[in-house]
Amino acid sequence: MPGGEVPLHLDLSGSAVGLEGVEGRSPWYLAYLRLRRNKVALAFGGLFIAIVLFCLAGPLWATHVAGTDPNTNHITDTIEIGGEETDVVAPNGTPLGPGLHAKYLLGADQNGRDVMVRLMYGGRTSIYIGVVAALVTTFFAVLVALLAGFYRGWTDSALSRFMDVIWAFPVLLLGIALGTALAVGGLKLGPIVIAGDSLWIPILIIGFVYVPYMARPLRGEILALREKEFIEAATAQGKGSWRIMFTELMPNITSTIIVFFTLNIANNMLLESALSFLGAGVQPPNASWGTMIADGYQTIYTAPHLTIVPGLMIVLTVLSLNVFGDGLRDALDPRAKIRLES
Amino acid sequence: MSKAWKVLCLGAITALAALGLVACGDSDSSGGSSSGGGDVNVTMTSFPDYIDPQLSYTLEGWEVLWNTYVPLLTYKHEAGEDGTQVVPGLAEDMPEISADGKTYKLTLRSGMKYSDGTPIKASDFTYAIERLFDVQSGGSVFYEGIVGASDYVAGKADTISGITTDDKTGEITIQLEDANGTFTDLLGLMFAAPVPPSTPKDKNATNDPPPSSGPFEITSVDAPHTLVMERNPQFKTVQDAGANEVADAQVDKITVTQNKSNSAQVTGVEQNNIDFMVDPPDADRLPEVQARFSDRFRLEESINTYYFWMNTQEPPFDDLKVRQAVNYAIDPEALNRVFGGRLAPTQQILPPGMPGYEQYTLYPGPDLDKAKQLLAEADPSDKDITVWTDDEPDRKRIGAYYQDVLNQMGFNASLKIIAGDVYFTTIGNASTPDLDTGFSDWIQDFPHPDDFFRPLLNGENNLPTNSNNFSHVDIPELDKKQDELVQKQITDEGVTDDYAALDKAYMEQAVWAPYGNEQFTTFMSDRLDFGQAYSHLLFSQDYSAFALSN
Repeated sequence: MPGGEVPLHLDLSGSAVGLEGVEGRSPWYLAYLRLRRNKVALAFGGLFIAIVLFCLAGPLWATHVAGTDPNTNHITDTIEIGGEETDVVAPNGTPLGPGLHAKYLLGADQNGRDVMVRLMYGGRTSIYIGVVAALVTTFFAVLVALLAGFYRGWTDSALSRFMDVIWAFPVLLLGIALGTALAVGGLKLGPIVIAGDSLWIPILIIGFVYVPYMARPLRGEILALREKEFIEAATAQGKGSWRIMFTELMPNITSTIIVFFTLNIANNMLLESALSFLGAGVQPPNASWGTMIADGYQTIYTAPHLTIVPGLMIVLTVLSLNVFGDGLRDALDPRAKIRLES
Repeated sequence: MSKAWKVLCLGAITALAALGLVACGDSDSSGGSSSGGGDVNVTMTSFPDYIDPQLSYTLEGWEVLWNTYVPLLTYKHEAGEDGTQVVPGLAEDMPEISADGKTYKLTLRSGMKYSDGTPIKASDFTYAIERLFDVQSGGSVFYEGIVGASDYVAGKADTISGITTDDKTGEITIQLEDANGTFTDLLGLMFAAPVPPSTPKDKNATNDPPPSSGPFEITSVDAPHTLVMERNPQFKTVQDAGANEVADAQVDKITVTQNKSNSAQVTGVEQNNIDFMVDPPDADRLPEVQARFSDRFRLEESINTYYFWMNTQEPPFDDLKVRQAVNYAIDPEALNRVFGGRLAPTQQILPPGMPGYEQYTLYPGPDLDKAKQLLAEADPSDKDITVWTDDEPDRKRIGAYYQDVLNQMGFNASLKIIAGDVYFTTIGNASTPDLDTGFSDWIQDFPHPDDFFRPLLNGENNLPTNSNNFSHVDIPELDKKQDELVQKQITDEGVTDDYAALDKAYMEQAVWAPYGNEQFTTFMSDRLDFGQAYSHLLFSQDYSAFALSN
């Protein structure tokens, strides 16, 4: 029956008939139906999956097609193009350009590294950082929001002021400051030691700086939910604080968390690119789209593709995540006006 | 017209003509005191390490300071070999050297003033040398042979007893522990340039540089972004005192700015927005610059060595086989391509053009298999190493190449890239952690092979800060050989052969992995007189030769 509408027929006794045929539909199923109707969001979601698959295929391409890994230099190597031996990097330093050859499809950089391979591996790095940093942000943001929103009082004041302190710094400047400091000396927190060139450095920095941007709106929701009757009922039933937080409050903000998580991945990827471009994110020679732009920027006059291609990949990935995230928000809670505060 | 009216008209015309002449005369006198004029802007990828004559020890720094702080002796303002000739600077004449080569007598010219009007005194030389030790300058290693210097450094004496001066007569006497065949050259370096006692004795003066004695004074510094050099208003006192070998400025003002984008600098010079870029155009722009701007671009001769240093005191590079393995693995041709074809391959310490240079090859290659074999034989306990380089584009690529080679050999190498303006002070600081191996280069300070051994490889010069012995080399028998040779004149029979043997002895110990000798470049805007500009063999571009083209 279209629209899922179920007509009710009342008999003389006033009891409903025909309800036994109604199929129960959870909010998640309804959200799925709404999302399925949003073709644009689905298309961009598909694009994101395609980009992820493209990046995941990096090792296959590197092994079976290009025959090199992303960081191996081939400055004095030659490849055969059209029956002629061609330098990967000419004696005057000019690298091979893009062309229809399996190896060096997108050309080489000045160290003779295969740009196509670096693009795929760089994408893995960028997406990995984006997703893991979003997980870090989400974990801490939810924890802060639950504690601040549920306990209120001095807990809320202390956590909120701490969030305000982080908020007071522009994200990029805070990221650069932390990234520059940690890239040189690494991170040492008791038994935890992370080397300066580890991917965990940009992950933790990006995950950390975005916590307030997610925690504040979530805290607002928790504060509103805290006053609802079902929380009073749970309290009256003798449920403990932690149980209320995780079994009553958290399920009610899950849809918001999912939307934030998706949008946060896109923001994280942009920040990673910016930090890596400025030398405070992923450390060379590891490839990420940000480091590729930084490397390519030096040769933008003579080899613009070294900058344009990773830049285009960032645009497509962020665009696909943002459009899909908006679609997800509309599907999960059409009345909501949630957005990542910035 | 009445006669009176005619007289009045004639008088008015005469008066106007006279005023005109006076005006012309004023104009002439204002511009006639010095030739040329105008403002010039210069860019460099890395700001000078210090704006301090006793501390600066990078090409960028010396290029700025050469025409700012004049030592007792100086080097001729000439291109090529002529420029390596030492001539009187603030001293009246070349030093009078005793028969045993241990005593140097000089006389300061009289009547000279620093740019702030303070008289230049003979005792300022003592102050400069003492300051050199107090600020723990990398250049102090050259002056350790002055009598009493070690006591001064150890805090046993308040002054260096081997330097005596008379401010009234301007006489300066320097006593050396042993004869030193390079000491005349050393007196021509900015390390020994007199500075007034108002200069902080034990502090870096970069943010407030001392008043100058050269044709330019530094009027503002915003390190590491920009500095401004302007004509020294008191330079006439130096010229009037007879310092004819110290060239005068031909422009009024030079603004030096750090610009991290080599490509933007190239475009800036092409479009005449930047007058001169200190660094060579990057490899990807070089062919275009050579083809389109041959009327204002040229390659320049330079005497230098590019090398990878390896910390010989710590694993894994404390093992000779490991260091030899690196020498086998490095491919100078690959690095030449990183430099856009401006790097002549080498595997030795002394560069061509330096006395004592004799070509040899101890580690023919690149031979990665041999390198792996040696590494397997050495089987170092620590294979997790850090490769250091700076953030200039070609050096980042050198670092990436070197890291890849080390990983191919079997190391687990990570790359550490830091800002160019603090790179050498960071790797020259003994307290910096993980100083395993990395990029370095050395451009001659003076035309004597001791310059490539003493500061870079002498065990005495493992300084706590500002060290240039990045490999932490400490081979007493070779130090002793250095000390023997430096007491002789380079022209003495067999000395250059001995230096060639010393070069080989160090490379048998594989203390470095040298890979090339770089050609510099001069690339200027149309605004500058390209024909007049030149690259000095010691101090690179001579800013006193900058003049606006007509």
